Formats: sequence, C-alpha cells, structure tokens
Amino acid sequence: MTEQSSLLNLSRRRLLITTSATVAAALLVSTTGFTPAQAAETPKDGGDITFLIDSLGDTWIPNNSAISSFQGHIWGHVTDKLLYVDAEGKVSPWLAERWEQNDNATEFTLHLKNGVTFSDGAPLDSAAVVANLDIWYAGRKNEGINPIGLFPKTYDRAEVIDQSTVKVFFKKPTLGFIPTLGYHGSILVSPKSLAQPASQQADLSKTAGSGPYVVESWKEGDHVTLVKRKDYNWGPAAVGHTGPAFLDSITYKLVSEPSLRVASVQSGQADVAYNASPQELKSLKEEGYTIATPRYLGFVNGWAVNTKIAPYDDVKVRQALQAGINRQEIIDTVYTPDWKLPTSFIQSNVPGATDQSGLLAYNPDRAEKLLDEAGWAKGADGVRTKDGKPLTLTLHSNPYLATSKSVDELIAQQLGKLGWKVAIRAYDVVTYGEKVKYGGPAIPTYEVTRSFIDAGTVAGILTNANNGENWFALDDRDARLNDLRDKIAGAGTFDERNPLLNDLQQYVLDQGYFIPRTQIVQRIYVQSPTLKGEVYNGVAYASYYTAFIAD
Amino acid sequence: MSNAYLTYAAKRLGQAVVVILLAYVFTFVVVSILPGDPITSVLRNPQNGFREEEIAEIIAAQGLDKPIIVQLWHSLSGFLTGDLGISMRSNRPVSTLIAEVLPSTLILASAGLAVALVLAMLVAYGTRFVPKRYGQGLLRGFPSLFLSVPNFVIGLVLIHLFGFQLGLFRVINPDSFWATLFAAIALGIPISAQIAEVLIANLDKEAEQEYATVARSRGLGQARLFVSHLLKPASLPVVTVIALMIGELLGGSLITETVFGRTGIGSLVQRSVSTQDLPVLQAIVSLGAVIFVLVNLVADLLYPLLDPRVKILGGRKRQPTTADETSIGPTRVVMP
Repeated sequence: MTEQSSLLNLSRRRLLITTSATVAAALLVSTTGFTPAQAAETPKDGGDITFLIDSLGDTWIPNNSAISSFQGHIWGHVTDKLLYVDAEGKVSPWLAERWEQNDNATEFTLHLKNGVTFSDGAPLDSAAVVANLDIWYAGRKNEGINPIGLFPKTYDRAEVIDQSTVKVFFKKPTLGFIPTLGYHGSILVSPKSLAQPASQQADLSKTAGSGPYVVESWKEGDHVTLVKRKDYNWGPAAVGHTGPAFLDSITYKLVSEPSLRVASVQSGQADVAYNASPQELKSLKEEGYTIATPRYLGFVNGWAVNTKIAPYDDVKVRQALQAGINRQEIIDTVYTPDWKLPTSFIQSNVPGATDQSGLLAYNPDRAEKLLDEAGWAKGADGVRTKDGKPLTLTLHSNPYLATSKSVDELIAQQLGKLGWKVAIRAYDVVTYGEKVKYGGPAIPTYEVTRSFIDAGTVAGILTNANNGENWFALDDRDARLNDLRDKIAGAGTFDERNPLLNDLQQYVLDQGYFIPRTQIVQRIYVQSPTLKGEVYNGVAYASYYTAFIAD
Repeated sequence: MSNAYLTYAAKRLGQAVVVILLAYVFTFVVVSILPGDPITSVLRNPQNGFREEEIAEIIAAQGLDKPIIVQLWHSLSGFLTGDLGISMRSNRPVSTLIAEVLPSTLILASAGLAVALVLAMLVAYGTRFVPKRYGQGLLRGFPSLFLSVPNFVIGLVLIHLFGFQLGLFRVINPDSFWATLFAAIALGIPISAQIAEVLIANLDKEAEQEYATVARSRGLGQARLFVSHLLKPASLPVVTVIALMIGELLGGSLITETVFGRTGIGSLVQRSVSTQDLPVLQAIVSLGAVIFVLVNLVADLLYPLLDPRVKILGGRKRQPTTADETSIGPTRVVMP
C-alpha cells in the first residue's frame, strides 16, 4: 500500500511538474511573441533562391547602373562598400574600419580593412579605393561612362598614404562625403575592371567586385545567376554576420508581368516577387507571405512648386495647396498602411529629418479661407476664379512611380472640392524627360521621387547656387533660403548642422515651396515564408547575404 | 550557267543591296526624328541627380548633339565596313547582343515552321480524304479560322491550359522543351493556314490531272496516292509561300516571344524600340532584310531544281509562281 501511494504521489508530482513546465513554456512563448518554429531557427547553409524582377535595366557599366532600382539588387551582392548605411540611416564601418576628418570637413582619412580581395584576385587596397573615387567623381564621359550623379561635386583628389590608408581632399566642406560612401552608387569594383573600355564594362561577367556573391551566368533581358564566394569574410558588422553567405545561389529572373511574378511565388516556383501592386499586399499577407515595404533615405513623394507661374507665385495659394490635400486618404485609398504619412519633405528615417506634421495637417477650412483672402472667389460651378481666370493646376504624373497617376486622380478630387480645376497629364518616360522639368514654363508642380544619403546636400539642390537645381524657380529671390543653404553647406559638424536643417524643413513647408504627398516606398517585396533573414539597407535594397531557407 | 542567268543574278543581288541600304537609312531617319534618345532618358532619371549642363556635356561627349546627317554618315560608314556599332542602351557591341538572342529565335522559328508544315499537311490530307459526312467541309474552313485568330490569343490559351492547368511547363522557364513546343504551336498555327490554303488549292488541281486518275485506276490507296503522287507537285508553290512567309515567321516570333517570355530577337527589338536604341534597331532591320532577300533568292534558285518544267529564260523565269499568285493568297510581310 505504502509503496503504491508513493508511486501515485510521485506520478502526480511528475504530472504537476510537466504541466507547469508546459504552461510556463507556453507563457514564455506567447509573451515573447515567438512562435516555436521561429525560436528554433538558426541560419543553415545551402539552398538556391529565385527572385523575380520586372526589369534588369539597361547597361551594366557599374557607374551607370549602380543606382538603378533593378541592377542595384545585383550590385549589392556582387560588390561591397566602404561604409554601411542601415535602414535608419545609421552609418557604420564596413571595408573602411575607421575614418577621421579635419575640423572643417575638407579632408578625410580612411583606414581600410586588410586582406580583402576582389573576385579577380586583386587586393582591395588604398590604390583600388583611389581608382574608384576618381571614376565616381569624373566617369569617362567620352566613352559613355557617367560620373555618379550624387557624388560630391566638391571632390578634389584622393591620395594613397600607405597600403591601407587613403586621404581624400575636398575643395569645400563636405560633411556628406562619409554617408555617400554607403550610397548605392558607391560600389567598389576591381581596378582591372575599371580600366576596361565601356563595352567590356557593360558585360556583367567581366566586372569583379569584392562581394559575397559572384556572377555565374547572365543573359541580357533574361536572368542573372549569382553563386556564393566561399572565401568571403568581410561582411558589414552591422548585419551581424561576416563570413560567407548561407544561400548557394541567387537567380534574378526577369518576368515583366506583375501578376505572373506574384503567382509564381504563390505556386512555389519562385521565392521572391519584386514590385507587386500595392492592392494585392493585404491578401498576400493574410495568406502568410512575407511582405516588405522598406523605405529609402531621400525626399518624400511630393511636388516642388514653381514659384514663377501664377497663381503659385502667391504664398497664400501655395499654403492652401499644402492644407488642402488629405494625405491620410491617399494612404487609405491608393496604398496600404505600409505607407506612411509625410512628416517633412524628407523621409522620416533620414538623420536630421524633423517632425513638421503640424504644417501638413489636412485643413480644408483653412485652405478655403486662404484662397478667399488671395482673391479667388468660388463661382456657381464650384470653380474659383480671379480676374476672370479659373484656378487651375496641371499635374504631370511621374512615370517612374507606378502609383503616381492614381494619387494625382485622388488629389484632383480633393482639390476640386476646394475650387481647383485640376488637369492630369501622363507621359511615357522619354516624353516626360523631354517636357517636364523643374521650374519649366508650363510645369507648376514637379513630382519628386529622389533618394539621397545625406540631408546636407538637400539645400544645395533646392536653390540655384553652385549649379543647384533651383527646384522652386526662386533663383536668388529668397534671401532666407539662401542664407540657410550657405550655413548648412558650411557646417563642419552635425551638431551645428541639425538645427539649421530643422529651420530649412520648417521654412520650405511653411512657404508651400514643397508639397509632400506620402513617404515613398519604391520597392515592394513579396517573399516565400520559408526564406528568412534578409536585411534591407538605407536605400531599401534587400540583401540575401544573411538569408537562409528555414525548414 | 548562262550569261543571261548571271546577269539576272547580279541584278537581283544589286536590288537586294539597295533594299538593305534603304531599310537602314529609313530606320535611322524614323528613329532620329522621334524626341529623346536612350542616353538622355537614362540620364534624366531623377535618381541620377544630374544637372542640365552635365547632361549636355555627356551628350556632346557621345557625339549625339551633331547634326543628323553627320550621325547618319558615321553610322552608315561603320555599317558598310561590317561594324554594327555599340548599343546606346546597354553599351555592348550590337553583334554580341544579336548573337546572344538569335539562337532562341531561330529555334522558335524553325520549330514553328515545322509545326506549320505538319499541320498544313494534315489539314490538306483531310480535305481530300476525310469523307464529306465526317467534316471535310469543316476542314476546308480551318485555314481561314487559323488565320483569323491572332497568335498571341492562341499563346495565352496554350499557356493557361498547358502551363497553369496541366502544369506541363513552368512559365518562368520558357526555354524548356514543352514551353518551346507550345510557343512553336502558337507561332505555327496562323502560318500553317497560308501553307494549307496553297496546298489544298494545288491538291485539288493535281487530283484532277490524268496521271492521278491513272494511278487511282491502278488501285492505289489514298495514302499512297497522296504521298507519292500528289504531294510533290502540289507542294512546289509551297516553297515560294514559305520564302515569303519568313518575314511573318520572324515578326510572329516577336509576339510569341513576348507572350511566352522568351528572350530572343523579339524581346531585343521591344527593349530597343522602347529606349530608341538606334544602332540595335538598324542592325536588326538590316538583318531582317538580308534574311528575307536571301531566302527568296534561294527559293528562286531552288525552284528549277524541284520542277524541271521551270526554266530560266533570259532574265525572266518562274512562270508557275505568277500563275499561282491567286492561290498564295494575300501576302502579309511583317518586318521583324
């Protein structure tokens, strides 16, 4: 009897222990938000993935293609950069282990990681870095090799100090230089590849980078297949992995029809579909696919207003435009909650961006009041007129952004209610490039989509100083804007520059020079749930260097 | 070879050269008068952040700001010395680009032609020997039906049925055997129509000839009669039709390639047109002209060998072809 009861007790205790352990485990799992499957996963080697993309761009000359929304994916795996810029704009060391600058940001010293080689065997040393800096700045224009458009124009020269030290000189303070090294255009290519003529550089298989993957095969208009480089050992510390990649190969395959790309991922024939249409995302998410809509660092999607064209020379009309757009409705109607409201005219993840949401609030009453004050009276047909002329706005939909026209149509309705007569013109890329320019004579608003790495370059673009782009056609008329621009350009430290950037954002938005629409998501990824561990960088490219196939 | 024949051949060759040169110049002029060029449209992508002066400088460095006539002379002199130039879009030699995609198109075009021939043969055989109550009349309507359904419609139906429903091929792997076969079927069907029409008309004619009656009276079976007696004389005009149809075959493969996602001459043309890549377009148009002229030349030279009744008579030749023109039907020439 005694024996029996103790046995019983024992088993009961055991039962209790087991139950409580299970409960505790379940609690732990539920509170930490891990599903058991995810918690058990560690990256494993092997596997091949197929990435379906809508285009593979035009040329493969590194300088001309590195910033392409399509080819950038391949360059991101085949080449490395001196610095790493993460999705929050945080700059961290990569092939440059550390760097110093002088007080007025005109001289920078870069200290390179040792032992890094290009896939053609050449060392990635200081001479290689100088060769790259030179070609980024100048290109070889007569051969058709363009400079990198956003590389600082203030570059003077770079010098080899020793095997692993480079000194870079600028003609003027250039705080933006360091972040630029993490920009998508700043890819490091073997000096042997750079020395090739343009027609050789245009053959992707003839360009050697130092990245975790190398090109195995490619066919123009068809595919690019990358295979892992086994001796790779210099990944950016910021992504938490520095050794060789896990996946054996990545195939970028061109499929131009968006629904076909998504359907292929759904049927298990491919792993990632690029640029799905925003409307499909909700149902795909519900089906269990991983959806990524990383934002890049740059300007938000919005309009640069031409202050030379009446009535947009009137600040009240511009301010009415600013208050008359219901941005939340754009996100609700055209996009999904993955898109974010603008908080400034630069994306909110850019270092130095400040929250100016107050200036961008939807306030139709204020807009109507401003238009009344400006002398635009509402007629019987609901259109406002002044001196017999109707209040018109002609929008030119941006052909580089697929959803641009839908947003234009919605805004036309919103402004229509306030008394605007809005016309929409949609041109193809070639015609758009010819006809639609900043401050063009018939272009009241120019739709902006543009990435950059450093907010310090912004002020220079907005005005006409130093060959700036003069976005608002102000020429030299706005003394305050010019003053802010000069101070920002001359700032030697970020502490000095950040308050100035805040003033700039506030001023530009308050004046209605820039009318933001939404923060921009230019790259949309639909991914099979078994593929995990990818990382998105500051320009929203997916890197599969850290990715793996989960069981 | 008679003197008359050589004169004739030289004249034909001279005409061919003129046609090719005209095609070259015509393409140049048409593409040049359109606004924009591939280099500027790339440079103007706002992501690049180039200023107007920089764009102008790069354009000048490429010689694109020179007058059209200078540019034409430059490209024409290159062409005449066998240099097809460099693609403005991809910066790679045009000859490399074409060599890369040509095999895929040739495979598709020849498979399409084979499908068309087999299909035309089957339909023609059916119209003669399928009894009337089993739909001989219906078969005679097939060529018109095949001709009136565009091949992209056929392609989409085939992709849907055999690619998605039955899973015979993967849509993202268009170079596989099954995908190629179905692309060839889509391409071959409309082309088979024209061949079948000519074949049927000529079979009807040959079947009434005395030798056919004799053969039948000797108790020859239908199939034997068709294969060993009627087919050869009836298919002579088909050679001419095929030669004329090369243009259609190349042009049709352009559409079929797009539908099936194949990377061939068609997709290269499409990319080059959308970016106004002049050197590539000129090379392809000239190549198309060369192929077309060459194939027709070969057909003309082959004809006397196939049919001893045809003689080259002092620069004029090939009487039967002109006589058969009604049965050839409307010739639709599509530039690839």
